[in-house]
Amino acid sequence: MKIVVCVKQVPDSETRINLAAPAARLDRSGFTRVLNPYDAYAVEEAVRIAERTPGTEIVAVTVGGDQVKETLKKDCLAVGCHKAVIINDPALAEVDEQGLARVLAAAIKKESPDLVLCGLKAIDDDSGQVGIMVAELLEMAHVSVVTKLELGDGKLKAEREIEGGKEIVEAALPALVTCQKGLNEPRLPSLPNIMKAGAKPMTTVTCAELGLAVPERTYEIKLYSPPAKRAACRLVEADDPAAAAKELARLLREEAKVI
Amino acid sequence: MPNIAVFLEQRAGELKKVGWQMISKARAITDQAGGEVWAVLLGEAGGAAVAAGQYGAHRLVKIVGGDFAVYNANTYAAALQKFCAARKPDLVLVGATALGKDLAPKLAVRLQCACLSDSVGLKYENGFEIRRPIFAGKCFIDATPRTACAVVGIRPNAFTLGAGAGGPAAEETFDAALAGLNPGAVVKEIRAGGAKKIELTEAERIVSGGRGIKGPENYKLIEELAAALGAAAGASRAIVDAGWVEYSHQVGQTGKTVGPNLYLACGISGAIQHLAGMSSSKCIVAVNKDANAPIFKVADYGIVGDLFQVVPALTTAIREMGA
Ligand SMILES: Cc1cc2nc3c(=O)[nH]c(=O)nc-3n(C[C@H](O)[C@H](O)[C@H](O)COP(=O)(O)OP(=O)(O)OC[C@H]3O[C@@H](n4cnc5c(N)ncnc54)[C@H](O)[C@@H]3O)c2cc1C
Ligand SMILES: Nc1ncnc2c1ncn2[C@@H]1O[C@H](COP(=O)(O)O)[C@@H](O)[C@H]1O
Repeated sequence: MKIVVCVKQVPDSETRINLAAPAARLDRSGFTRVLNPYDAYAVEEAVRIAERTPGTEIVAVTVGGDQVKETLKKDCLAVGCHKAVIINDPALAEVDEQGLARVLAAAIKKESPDLVLCGLKAIDDDSGQVGIMVAELLEMAHVSVVTKLELGDGKLKAEREIEGGKEIVEAALPALVTCQKGLNEPRLPSLPNIMKAGAKPMTTVTCAELGLAVPERTYEIKLYSPPAKRAACRLVEADDPAAAAKELARLLREEAKVI
Repeated sequence: MPNIAVFLEQRAGELKKVGWQMISKARAITDQAGGEVWAVLLGEAGGAAVAAGQYGAHRLVKIVGGDFAVYNANTYAAALQKFCAARKPDLVLVGATALGKDLAPKLAVRLQCACLSDSVGLKYENGFEIRRPIFAGKCFIDATPRTACAVVGIRPNAFTLGAGAGGPAAEETFDAALAGLNPGAVVKEIRAGGAKKIELTEAERIVSGGRGIKGPENYKLIEELAAALGAAAGASRAIVDAGWVEYSHQVGQTGKTVGPNLYLACGISGAIQHLAGMSSSKCIVAVNKDANAPIFKVADYGIVGDLFQVVPALTTAIREMGA
């Protein structure tokens, strides 16, 4: 069994975007970078499959710059991935989701995996596109938003979250799954394993080495803007909770007109 | 003169409201810029032409020639790909629902066109401009497609419904003539999550509880207020991780992103990751005993007090008012 996990390094969820006014560019320097939390579920799931399926090889693949190495080592190789592939090409700095998917698909194809695991979405662009696009480009079945995964007999059975319920989905391998919280509880790397991870193979390739032209963007970003400013909070004060609640209900109906 | 195709999602023959919201917006654009709004339906749903027309669709196109009763990514994408190749819409709007989010990226790759997820704004001036949040709402982008068509996911409740005074849409069928498709991922079973709960991402009102509720047994206070308001019940990650409520209730950067008309946060401090998921709500109300809790920085209304007293009192007040 061979598993490819697509991992992205993203700004920490604590990140504040300092954007006072609309701007043509977003300054992304100075962000603390971590493994995308949804990709941690993908890595963990791969490691669990490998633990119960002897002979499984896990390859972590990412498109990113030199700074991804630390994340790959600590959050992928040290928790059980066997090797890492970085597609590092300055020309890729501007690609969009579809471009990333094309680059990833080219790299994944070389690995001929039985299973590709991605995160549900990256918490920077919040797109939830790349995994599904990779599957389409590789002509693989995909199941998105997966909270339970079983493998057997050359196929997978997955539970995916839908509005107000779950869908049970089956697909033949090779297939791609996007991982949602609830799938598993990612482990933390141990210090000795982080030390040992340094010896695991980490290769870097460029777009040209994948035999691929740098994909063109399918859309432009004209403007980045901060969220609309909210008015100051109006605190409802009254003699007792019942009176405050009554007054709040009145305001919500008569002033805010939301109930 | 842009023609806008609006994908109408049906589940078990029931049409999703986001479809009408998208038609309303699309019609406002074609009224200005010319062009038509085409509501596109896969599968069977009663009354679609009447409802689609009401909100402003010029045509209701029923795609036939495949089994569309239950969602299958391969059949849905193939059918829409054929339709788009034949009719060349300038924009395809898809609701950002579980189904729409699964379908849109696949369709965009097939059409080799731009794809924008979970968008909240749409304009047309010599081309489309699409607004969407990134970093879970800490920032917004305005995007312009470079491709002839674009597939755009629209967040439920981002657009308001039109007056709904139009006559029925002109009905037509499009034969996708699908045959010999690889089935891909096949839905074997759909399990409803118990009693008919209001889905967070589609809800117009949400009441959420956080660690302030002190224990799982008190989540019923949140549920009771939600029921009185006809709202969905949400949660902070703290109480999801504690196992007090299911993950499907989590709101925030690693939970659901929501934008209801009313978001009522009870015993939630307002951590940046929670705010990320709900700060686009139209009206935010906070109940917290700590006047310095960050949630009050984004709230429109607030009560500083003990939720164990305030929340039941609010439930009573709302019931008496008959919301
Ligand atoms: C990668 C990452 C992702 C995350 N994603 C999310 C996410 O998606 N969603 C999310 O919510 N969090 C998320 N978090 C967690 C987030 O940082 C906070 O820890 C969490 O939101 C806190 O939940 P809380 O407000 O319920 O609890 P607390 O911060 O403990 O707040 C409890 C609040 O209740 C109030 N309170 C206590 N008793 C009462 C009472 N009797 N009456 C009234 N008020 C009372 C307190 O004053 C306090 O403000 C994430 C964190 C990380 C690192
Ligand atoms: N630069 C990247 N390198 C590797 N995988 C990525 C990259 N960007 C996105 N992905 C994968 O695609 C998923 C969805 O990303 P997105 O569509 O950007 O929200 C992520 O969770 C990753 O698994």
